[in-house]
Amino acid sequence: MTEPGTEHTDDAGGVETATAGDLAVHLDGITKRFPGVVANDDVDLLVERGSVHALLGENGAGKTTLMNVLYGLYEPNEGRVVVDGTERAFGSPRDAIDAGIGMIHQHFMLVDTMTVAENIALGNEPRKWFGMAVDRERIEREIRDLCDRYGFDVDPTATIADCSVGVQQRVEILKALYRGADVLILDEPTAVLTPQEVEGLYDVLEELTAQGKTIIFITHKLGEATHAADAITVLRDGESVGTVDPNRTTREELAEYMVGREVLLEAETEPNEVGETILSVEDIAVEDARGVEVVSGIDLEVRAGEILGIAGVDGNGQAELIEAITGLRAPERGSVVFDDADVTDWSRRDRIDAGMSYIPEDRHERGLVMSFDLVENGVLGSQRSEEFSESGRIDWQGVRDHSEEIIETYDVRPPDAEADAESLSGGNQQKFIVGREFERDPRLVVATHPTRGVDIGSTEFIHERLLELRRAGIAILLVSSNLDEVRSLSDRLAVIYEGSFMDVTDPDDLTEEGLGLLMAGERPESRAASDSADGMSPTTDADSGGDA
Amino acid sequence: MRQRLEALLERLVRASIVERIAISIAALFASILVGGVLVFVSGAFASCQTGLNVAGWTFCYNPMQVYYELFLGALGHPLEGGWSPGNHRLATTLQQTTLLIFTGLSFAVAYRAGLFNIGTQGQLVVGGLATAVTVVYASLVVPSGVVGTVVLIPLGVLAGAVAGGFFGAIPGALKAYADANEVITTIMLNFVAVGITSTLLSWQFQDPDSPNPGTRRIPEYAEIPNIPLVGFSSRANFSLLALAFAIALMIGIAWLLARTSFGYELRTSGVQPEAAAYSGVDEKRMIVTSMTLSGALGGIGGALWVLMQHGRWLESVPPLGFDGIAVSILAANNPLGIGVSALLFGVLDSGSSAIGTATAVPPELVGILSGLIILFVAMPEFFRMIGTRYVEVGSSDLVRTDGGELAEDGATADDGGERDD
Repeated sequence: MTEPGTEHTDDAGGVETATAGDLAVHLDGITKRFPGVVANDDVDLLVERGSVHALLGENGAGKTTLMNVLYGLYEPNEGRVVVDGTERAFGSPRDAIDAGIGMIHQHFMLVDTMTVAENIALGNEPRKWFGMAVDRERIEREIRDLCDRYGFDVDPTATIADCSVGVQQRVEILKALYRGADVLILDEPTAVLTPQEVEGLYDVLEELTAQGKTIIFITHKLGEATHAADAITVLRDGESVGTVDPNRTTREELAEYMVGREVLLEAETEPNEVGETILSVEDIAVEDARGVEVVSGIDLEVRAGEILGIAGVDGNGQAELIEAITGLRAPERGSVVFDDADVTDWSRRDRIDAGMSYIPEDRHERGLVMSFDLVENGVLGSQRSEEFSESGRIDWQGVRDHSEEIIETYDVRPPDAEADAESLSGGNQQKFIVGREFERDPRLVVATHPTRGVDIGSTEFIHERLLELRRAGIAILLVSSNLDEVRSLSDRLAVIYEGSFMDVTDPDDLTEEGLGLLMAGERPESRAASDSADGMSPTTDADSGGDA
Repeated sequence: MRQRLEALLERLVRASIVERIAISIAALFASILVGGVLVFVSGAFASCQTGLNVAGWTFCYNPMQVYYELFLGALGHPLEGGWSPGNHRLATTLQQTTLLIFTGLSFAVAYRAGLFNIGTQGQLVVGGLATAVTVVYASLVVPSGVVGTVVLIPLGVLAGAVAGGFFGAIPGALKAYADANEVITTIMLNFVAVGITSTLLSWQFQDPDSPNPGTRRIPEYAEIPNIPLVGFSSRANFSLLALAFAIALMIGIAWLLARTSFGYELRTSGVQPEAAAYSGVDEKRMIVTSMTLSGALGGIGGALWVLMQHGRWLESVPPLGFDGIAVSILAANNPLGIGVSALLFGVLDSGSSAIGTATAVPPELVGILSGLIILFVAMPEFFRMIGTRYVEVGSSDLVRTDGGELAEDGATADDGGERDD
């Protein structure tokens, strides 16, 4: 494999000499090994003070590991961590916090029932009356000061549960600032946000850097890196490919650095012959585990050779809707008709046998049995099919051949059928599931986040396969929080918000902004109500598997 | 400290099969070492005529002799003259081994399906009574002799399996349809089993000619016959046929779990119920089915206890069902390993009585020695069982290098750090 990025290491070197005195963070030759894996191999990272530095790479490239080294969660096997010109050895995140480093995780660590102020001060409460009571006024005053300084619109007395995801993220940032952080690490900060919230985040980052704070953000999305960052360091397979200036590079080039070869960024769709209706859902209502109605009266129809996309912020009922369709959750009312048969009361088994393939949202819980090897996982769902079993006995040789075929076709690495599922990286686990479900010879494919956590190269392949299935006259129901994905692949696009469809439309008729508004529960006509997405419903859950 | 413990636990969870066997053997030797010291020191507090004199102390017990008796005594002293394979001690060892294979399998099947069946004892008690009663009453209509043997033994085993299976299905159904924790219900049903059987006994089935609470004897031709060639005496109450049946069942269960669709679904339900549901398994039915199978195996254990050991059902049932839990855990709930661990338990059982006859060591101390062996050998596997769950959600994610998991993992450490501030 060639190293397209090597010439850029010179750039990085240049940065070092030019601004050596003004580095907020300097990671020098960091190597971090885990049993059987080198997560970081001699990685250098130079971050200028007051800049936004993106750490770009595919899943498993070692981005988070590197940041966990900086945040004191891991001790590197080799290399130096230099903060503000002083070499540091962090034994724990507390040491890192003391050195002025803050990290905002993808999953927020906030107590839902407490107020913004209580969350921010938690563990650091200023005291009054000789330590007898918490000085609430002081906390709120300090937080208001912080908000004023950085232009945050956050009410310290609001309860976290009532705050939108975007606000919660700001609370996390405030928490880090409150503890005196000068360097903020954001791990995939946009994974849980609507497009409007993402814009808001960019503004926050700008304000922070203007005030001299340094930002490092981890991402695998090219657009974000080029849009928001002053410098981009690309990691691939645990090694640094180099640091580039986003103004002097293209998305295609960056993609090539990440993957190590040329990639097609957007799937090419052409019009397709649409056949009879395969799946039709009528007025379905579904309750979640707590008995709350999260899907209220949705109708949908997927025809042969058609991709129906469902876009929406996670937690708006799409998971329960899909479970009701695939037979994992009984709907409260409504009907599911599959291939002209009313399958509302059918078991999951019967639906699988009838030709329903399902790529589940949660691959660790559902899609794979983590402690089983890939051979055994290859038959998950088909363990009673005629193809792989005869009078109750499983034909393990046949299963092994089948699994090896999936591994080869879908480029699952390592290509070892006897590897346990849990030993694979998230992207490779996903490729295996996608392969298994695509090769089931289905009538309908229900694909939820089929490329979540999958690298660009494999995403391209999965998209191609989806389009091939579509050409072959298979009905496809696609749920994704990746807007580019649903927009480019879908023939029709439904937007779900709080358990109902906002709109079902041709994706080409919808701008990204319009789509974002629909996802936030606002119809474009009534956008005057609010131009930021902060008023969004609190039911939006943090996306738990965003990068898994 | 915590980190080191976590690392050790993870190392244990990831140990290969060879390493695990090596760990078990090392643990066995460690327990002998510790137990040996214990026996030796205890000897200083006992009074005896002859003993080892050191610095004014008299050490009465010889640890070497104690362990010699424990292990080789259980086999009938094979290194001494006049040994024959049909001796009484070896028969007792294998008798216990046979019965423990059934109860061990009972626990293992449920465990592999993700269920803790603590109720094997109760299933064995109920199954045993069903066997005894069925055979006693059936013998009134079935001709005696060879025909009786061929009809009554399978009938008795079947009765035990059905009764035990039914008694296992109850907690299964309670869990599946009423969400009642099976650990609690199976423990409670053990008492229910004792109560029911004792009531039935006094109501109808008590042997009027016997002072001991128990059923009438089954006819001699209905007891599991021995193979005369090997020379186990009929007094030994052990049958090679029964052992062969136990081993066959053991292999059958291993095959069922590994090779069949049902076994695949059972194992999937055990490790990841969500994935099982995804693959089309009816979870509730799987819980009832696997508990029924588990109970049936316990019931067969009760049947063999009646048909092989006593020829009748007695109210004083030994804790074979509870020992089965230890047997299964020791074998890492692997059906094929259960044979080996059941043999160890059999050896400890009959070796203990061999020590009693050959040395002056009190039975309480012998109990401690075999307890130590079980404790030492089972602990690594036990921690592995706990660790598998722990490591799956915790540190195994370190191996994966993709962001999400690491962020989560880091979150916990982060939390801790903040709280300390």
